[in-house]
Amino acid sequence: MILHHPDDDLLLAHAAGSLLNGHSLLVATHVEGCAHCRERLRVLEVAGGALLESLAPEVLQAEALAKTLAAIDAPEPSRAKSMPRPPLRAGTLPSPPDGFAWPLAMRGCIATRWRWLGPGMRWSRVTLPWDDSANVFLLRIGAGKMLPQHTHSESELTQVLYGTFHDGRALFGPGDFDETDGTIRHQPTVLAAGECICLASVQGKVLFDGVVARALGSLVGM
Amino acid sequence: MPTIEELNGLAKAVAQAGDREAFAALFKHFAPRVKAYLMRSGTAEGLAEELTQEAMVSVWRKAAMFDADRASVSTWIFTIARNLRVDHFRHQGREPVGAEDLDCDAIASTTPSPDEQMAIWQRETGMRDALRQLSEEQAEVLRLSFFEDQPHAQIARELGIPLGTVKSRVRLAVNHLRRLLDAPEP
Repeated sequence: MILHHPDDDLLLAHAAGSLLNGHSLLVATHVEGCAHCRERLRVLEVAGGALLESLAPEVLQAEALAKTLAAIDAPEPSRAKSMPRPPLRAGTLPSPPDGFAWPLAMRGCIATRWRWLGPGMRWSRVTLPWDDSANVFLLRIGAGKMLPQHTHSESELTQVLYGTFHDGRALFGPGDFDETDGTIRHQPTVLAAGECICLASVQGKVLFDGVVARALGSLVGM
Repeated sequence: MPTIEELNGLAKAVAQAGDREAFAALFKHFAPRVKAYLMRSGTAEGLAEELTQEAMVSVWRKAAMFDADRASVSTWIFTIARNLRVDHFRHQGREPVGAEDLDCDAIASTTPSPDEQMAIWQRETGMRDALRQLSEEQAEVLRLSFFEDQPHAQIARELGIPLGTVKSRVRLAVNHLRRLLDAPEP
């Protein structure tokens, strides 16, 4: 049962196509697994369609229709864009737990091997080939482990892919979504029952409290 | 202004029979609005013209994937134009990701039940009325969200209000919209 969903303002920005790529990927990942949010997103897309209809029409070139029909008759260009995207390129990523599948929204992304972040904590940098500047990563935290306490300079989105953590505010399980900013200082702790895998997108910086954690955070570029 | 049913009928004719007259009618209605959408969201005129034609070529090529039982053609074309704009400006011409075209098959491959169909149509036909019933303030924040390609921080600067106010105004507007759709009577 999914309990935590993206807010309306985030979902609306996604429907409008105005989110930066990292955050857009996170919302897409959540929506993929959440029927409730697919429905919410659809309502906003219907609003987009209705607003499109209400726009005052622009004048097109005189030959616009003729050109479009000519393009329809031309053979479909075989650009990379129209090719199906490859799956998440995670050849170096150790296989995920049994019964776990990477979200389809991550197709085309490249994930590094799991890297050490601390005892029982690993992370993997996720690269979006269409946007080098997106700061997206996977966290894989062992049962009972806790991340150092931290806050955020701008905004961090987190989607739980596997397992469950508690951060003092609420319990987040598979499919749950979280948005945090500078108003939230938390210390996510994975439940004892098993490890937890999350996908995260950060705009700005993650600001860790302790000196050691801070050094570590800047080392891995979070 | 053609009705939703008429526009959907045109899209069906394109999908099922490759009907060029139906396509020309869809073009006449939507292409000038898609161009307006692209220009409002900051695309220069020449490029907007080019992307509009590209969007309409997609409408032809993807017509078979459009499910008139699940959405109106304006919702569908909005998602096509939006994704084209996102691909062009945010992906630097590389592989797209994130928002997909409204892919009805991905959601359900079966025909919606009469109840579902009724709900879908109430939403599609009720949306225009619902948008008209929003306060000017709420309508404005929705229009800016959809058409100005502005993350909310920029809207806040433009309207001279705090970011938190933009976010809460957006939430109020969306909530109001949802309530109006649930209870379409004024």
